Amino acid sequence: MQKIVGMMILIAGASQFAMATAVPEIGVGSAGSAIALISGAMLVIRGRRK
Amino acid sequence: MLPQLAIRHSAANDSSFGLFPRLLALTILFAAELLLISVWLDDAALISRGGFLGFAGHWGAWTVRGIVGFAAIFFTFAYLKSKAELTEISHQVKPIAVNPSLLAGHAGAMAIFTSASWALYGIHVGASAASLLTPIWLLAGVCGIVLGAFAFMPRLLWARIIHDTGHLWAYTLLAVVFACVAGGYSQVFWLPSSRLTYALVKSLLSLFVSGIVANPVTMHLGTSKFAVEIAPECSGYEGAGLILAFGVVWLWFFRDECRFPRALILIPAGVVIMYLLNAARITGLILIGDAGATRIALGGFHSQAGWIAFNAVALGFSFAARRLPWLTTTGHVGTTVAPPSKESADNPAATYLLPFLSILAVGTLTAAASGDFQWLYPLRFLAAAGALWFLRKRYAAVDWSFGWFGPAMGALAFAIWIGMDALLNTRVHDAMPVALAGATPAIRTAWIVFRVLAAVLTVPIAEELAFRGFLIRRFISADIEASPPQRFTWLGLGLTSIAFGILHGNLWFAGILAGLLYAWALLRRGRIGEAIAAHATTNALLAAYVLLFHKWHLW
Repeated sequence: MQKIVGMMILIAGASQFAMATAVPEIGVGSAGSAIALISGAMLVIRGRRK
Repeated sequence: MLPQLAIRHSAANDSSFGLFPRLLALTILFAAELLLISVWLDDAALISRGGFLGFAGHWGAWTVRGIVGFAAIFFTFAYLKSKAELTEISHQVKPIAVNPSLLAGHAGAMAIFTSASWALYGIHVGASAASLLTPIWLLAGVCGIVLGAFAFMPRLLWARIIHDTGHLWAYTLLAVVFACVAGGYSQVFWLPSSRLTYALVKSLLSLFVSGIVANPVTMHLGTSKFAVEIAPECSGYEGAGLILAFGVVWLWFFRDECRFPRALILIPAGVVIMYLLNAARITGLILIGDAGATRIALGGFHSQAGWIAFNAVALGFSFAARRLPWLTTTGHVGTTVAPPSKESADNPAATYLLPFLSILAVGTLTAAASGDFQWLYPLRFLAAAGALWFLRKRYAAVDWSFGWFGPAMGALAFAIWIGMDALLNTRVHDAMPVALAGATPAIRTAWIVFRVLAAVLTVPIAEELAFRGFLIRRFISADIEASPPQRFTWLGLGLTSIAFGILHGNLWFAGILAGLLYAWALLRRGRIGEAIAAHATTNALLAAYVLLFHKWHLW
């Protein structure tokens, strides 16, 4: 899970750096829930017990 | 803030005041100070002064982003690559108390920095005095950061972190500087990209409507009823860049599972698909507007469709990288797939996260289909309630009971919430939203009932199962159900509380504190019911506060 958390920290950082525009195609305001959604989905996808 | 909740006694535990709790405390201290300062400082005031101060005002926000980005990237990779070394440093720092003299020095430096900021930002001093004050202002700021850092951990141990992680600091610095410069100057690529997007949207639009109104000079495109300007910022560059970052990091982190060089094809494929989906997004936006739903087109759809596309491509990327035998080495071919009914039992992540993910997914989709009011909010309640009902048998082992402590923590979180809201003055509109006020009494009452039910029932259960029930324990062990609910690591506690706070928008700092209080409620007795009761109490009090005192901006 640490890798997924780490990856999402980096993606969140990237979204803050790259999306600092007034009219974004990817709104910074929605970044939190969007990144939480993809992070959680990946945790579920990778979470199946071996 | 929190009392010592050390439950773990193994030699490798970091529940006492080791490295991670110190970093958490330092993060909270700096975040609180940054929040307080940013409430009344406006970069525009500094930019208007020109000269060096103007330069500082222009790059101030980027500098803060750079520092935050550096810390996040450095410690993420340090933890992933040098966990043993960090654990050793954590053991070394445990017997060392926080240095009160340096902490006092930090407070003094920040007081000087704040006073100088007041003078410089508020233009309370002339140009000559400002030139004298500027170096003092900068020095006080730097001293404040350094003294604060050294108060929580000695200089030698900071040096050891840098030493033990090799050249990570240099790579991180390069990445952050590159990101700042690229972010600042990326506009160069926007114009050619927007022309290609313009052509794509025009082609797609011609499949659905006739009589397209197009002006390639002004980049206006649409129909006689509804047209948009394809701004350079909306040219697809952002989404393509984001999926590029996602793909590179994914392939690096999970390189052991990928067949190289084949897996590299996923990166250009993801970028191209994301770019095409942006053209489809703009086409959809025009078609929605042309159909008469201009508020939806310019409101929710415009802001949400990009993230929906990113999530779809990112999920497709990870699915392909993990499931396509041509791309992965994980050997899924020929393995027996578990029957759907066993999925939850085999996957605790699904059990604890699906209710929360259903709220997020439905919330994103309904926001995209909404204008300036969330009429479809009841669907979030129904989605979470459905997920909880579907998984109800899996929650048999969950301790739902609670006593007085959980509600007390919830009441405290509520007090912090409204106090922080008053401090930040985030109040925009206090009146009931126009759309809701204009609805029939039956519809208005039904919407409010669903909103309250979601706030008091489904949201607390879903969020506490996800953050306190799953994530905190997942930082201890992959087998979360075998991990006692009173165990925790400071790293897990800190990151889950920060993530919880970030999800609460402008009131992110109040969200972090609330997350810590809910975690305290859980950890005191090891009952998730306490955390849920705390969260439900906060939300119930907020609902009453909104409805009784007309504080609608808090919803």
